[in-house]
Amino acid sequence: MRILTDEQAPVTHPTIDLGCGNWCTLNYDSLISSGIAIVVTILVAVLIARSMSSAVPNRPQALAEWLFSYVQTTSRENAPDAGFVVPLAATIGLYILVANYLDVFPITLIPNVHPANTDVNQTAAMAAVVFIVLHWYSIRLRGWRGYLHHYTRPYELPIPARAFFVILNIIEEIVKPVTLAFRLFGNLLAGLLMIFVITLLLGHLPYVGSWLVGPAALAVWKLFDVLFIGLIQAFIFMLLTMVYFGLAREGFEAEHAH
Amino acid sequence: MDHLGAAMIAFGLALGGGAIGAAVGDGLAGSATIQGVARQPEARSQLQGIMFIIIGLVEGMYFINLAFGALFVFSLANK
Repeated sequence: MRILTDEQAPVTHPTIDLGCGNWCTLNYDSLISSGIAIVVTILVAVLIARSMSSAVPNRPQALAEWLFSYVQTTSRENAPDAGFVVPLAATIGLYILVANYLDVFPITLIPNVHPANTDVNQTAAMAAVVFIVLHWYSIRLRGWRGYLHHYTRPYELPIPARAFFVILNIIEEIVKPVTLAFRLFGNLLAGLLMIFVITLLLGHLPYVGSWLVGPAALAVWKLFDVLFIGLIQAFIFMLLTMVYFGLAREGFEAEHAH
Repeated sequence: MDHLGAAMIAFGLALGGGAIGAAVGDGLAGSATIQGVARQPEARSQLQGIMFIIIGLVEGMYFINLAFGALFVFSLANK
């Protein structure tokens, strides 16, 4: 049981202070785990690309092609003129999926290393990328004037009401990346906390209990948490990225038709 | 009462309230899916995919709750 209970209390991260205040620290555990995830993602992608054949697609190729065509159709439905969303969303989806699925292995046994997405900095970084690209796209689409004008939706209301709606629209734009980051982080952290709680509880079961129930409970929870929640959260992050691009250009044709 | 105890009680309240909301949301999504499948059995696979996305979104709120609560409690406990 010792090996399994060795998972340390999550939430705290070992940090290296770079010596320039609160915003200048490195969580090196997240760097290690996200580095592993990045290497595995690239390896998986390269291996699938190498084994591609137009004659007889093998199973990984069929999966990858299904994922790619799904991303392509969804992104075309949402934002037909934003072709760059396809690689962005597909990369984010594949990376989060790989990073989540790596939790099947007990990488927490390495001292101080947590699964990549259980650090809010990691998910916030991905959400920030989506946020920046989203607003760059919105500005490019409508121009600066149109972009700022877009914040005064809905257009058919009188001016005072629209001034009030400006605040709501700004809040809406800020909330998008925040919920994107915290949804993924919260789900993964809850899974990690649950593993921690299970191991804590089972350390106190007498004799055989820990040996029999412990690994079984851990295995069941890890399978559910990683294989199901990990997949769904990766999928949601990817889908919401595409949907946000669709929302950014919503009503663009109607405004510019006349 | 010390801060940690208060934080624990607040954490419990937040978890309970969040669980009510998540449960209602899951139930609504599930019941709508059942109605859809009963109406059009051939749309089952499509509806299931959408249902899981909605459930993921709904439970996302609850997990944000949980993560924040755990963050507060742990940061107080580590002080």
